[in-house]
Amino acid sequence: MTRQWQNRLTAAILPVGILLTWQGIAMLNATPLFPSPVRVAGDAIRYAPEILSELRHTLFRATLGLALAMATMIPFGIFLGRFRVIGAVMEPVIDMIATLPPPAMIPIVMLFAGTGDWAKIVVIAYAAGVPLLINAVEATRTVHPMLNRVGRSLRMGRLDAMLHIDLPASLPMIATGLRLAISASLLVSVTSEMLLATNGIGVFLQKRQELFQISAGLAGIAAISVMGVLINNLFLRLERRLLFWHYRPEDPS
Amino acid sequence: MIINLILKLRLIIGLLILMTVWQAVALAELVNPKYFPRIDAIVVAFRDMIAEDNLLEAAQLTFSRAFMGLIGASALGIGLAILSEVLPWFRLGFRVIANVLLPIPPAALVPMAIFMLGLGPELYAFIILMVAVWPPFLNGVAALHGTNDVQLRTARMLGCTDWQTLWQVRLPAAMPEIFAGIRYAATICLIAAIVCEMLAGRDGLGFMLFKKAFGQRIPDVFALMFLCALMGAVLNGATNFARHWVTGWNLKMQEVAR
Repeated sequence: MTRQWQNRLTAAILPVGILLTWQGIAMLNATPLFPSPVRVAGDAIRYAPEILSELRHTLFRATLGLALAMATMIPFGIFLGRFRVIGAVMEPVIDMIATLPPPAMIPIVMLFAGTGDWAKIVVIAYAAGVPLLINAVEATRTVHPMLNRVGRSLRMGRLDAMLHIDLPASLPMIATGLRLAISASLLVSVTSEMLLATNGIGVFLQKRQELFQISAGLAGIAAISVMGVLINNLFLRLERRLLFWHYRPEDPS
Repeated sequence: MIINLILKLRLIIGLLILMTVWQAVALAELVNPKYFPRIDAIVVAFRDMIAEDNLLEAAQLTFSRAFMGLIGASALGIGLAILSEVLPWFRLGFRVIANVLLPIPPAALVPMAIFMLGLGPELYAFIILMVAVWPPFLNGVAALHGTNDVQLRTARMLGCTDWQTLWQVRLPAAMPEIFAGIRYAATICLIAAIVCEMLAGRDGLGFMLFKKAFGQRIPDVFALMFLCALMGAVLNGATNFARHWVTGWNLKMQEVAR
């Protein structure tokens, strides 16, 4: 107990030190271009309703894009992992697509889908799809051969084998990809809002820039960061609970 | 036999398939041809942009931003990882800071950073470092912390001091894992550079992409997009080259093990 507290206190030294230095510098040269943490916190409270309602739009699109990516890319990845020749031929193509930065896609998607919700959701799905696809292919390819032999002796068809052998066996690795996909979807969701503005936290940030309200903008950035931390923790917990069979051998407690 | 041949030529075959499907879709006009140009139209657009819009200059600018950012982020990430390993209070505290800064997208930082840093190289350096430092840092911390016990004891037996152990045993042993992080950071650097150019709106490929898109110059946009993908591949290749150079021993070991 005391050791835990000692650790927590040690952990607090650096962040608190940085915040205090920041406050000190901000108080020394009092310009609105360099707001103090206290002012940022005040603005975070003042703008909380607006920030929360904008975050809702951002999260909504990120979730839809992620769902679209999961529904298409996980089955496709398992397919490519199972039919090795097709997978091997597609691999360089996938690599090439994977190096294409999602923001470079935004102008193209804008041509097809305009600047509405769907344009953003497509870009989000693309960004989230890449890690899902790569991990699903790799996981299916490395499934233990014995599992497939068992499947064959149970007279499973290809579709059955994909559904009942490849998918569950690949889940731990897909979960790793999913974690990357979640952060990618949030990231691209904010980015696409800033470029194709309608609503969402990205628009909030840009409005603050136009109005020279830097401390409010920093409060918006802090809100994104808090949201990211919360979602990440939630996902880690869910992963531990749902994939307990994978983690049990490592973690005897 | 045939399968082996297919596997050997897969890069070419994959590209050919992609281009054939692309050209077929464009020729059959499955999609509105205005929005889906043929490959030859894209090539022409590419050539014209080199002549008229100083495309190569813009590409060089974007690439150097991403590349310098990658070098800086890798060096800083490794430095912070070593610092974390040496100073416990720094490790515990910086983990909190990393968790907080990790989810912030580069685009969100740009508007506020423009106020504080202007539109010069400082802006790009700041944004890219802010988002690309984490993969090398996190991998570095994990790898430095988990050095093989046998190697540590061997170093102690040979009479190495703590510093010597860190520089000559633990850091080289951590390099393969750090390079996995650097490879991931390479993609992030390019993304950050392009997003930053889109929002700063002054120069570089990101700015050109947006200008062309709003001008409805569709073949140009596709050409730029392919150029971005190519640039990602080049950056990836450069990272792989550096990895061979620094951790070639490890790669050879893996091949032998296979």
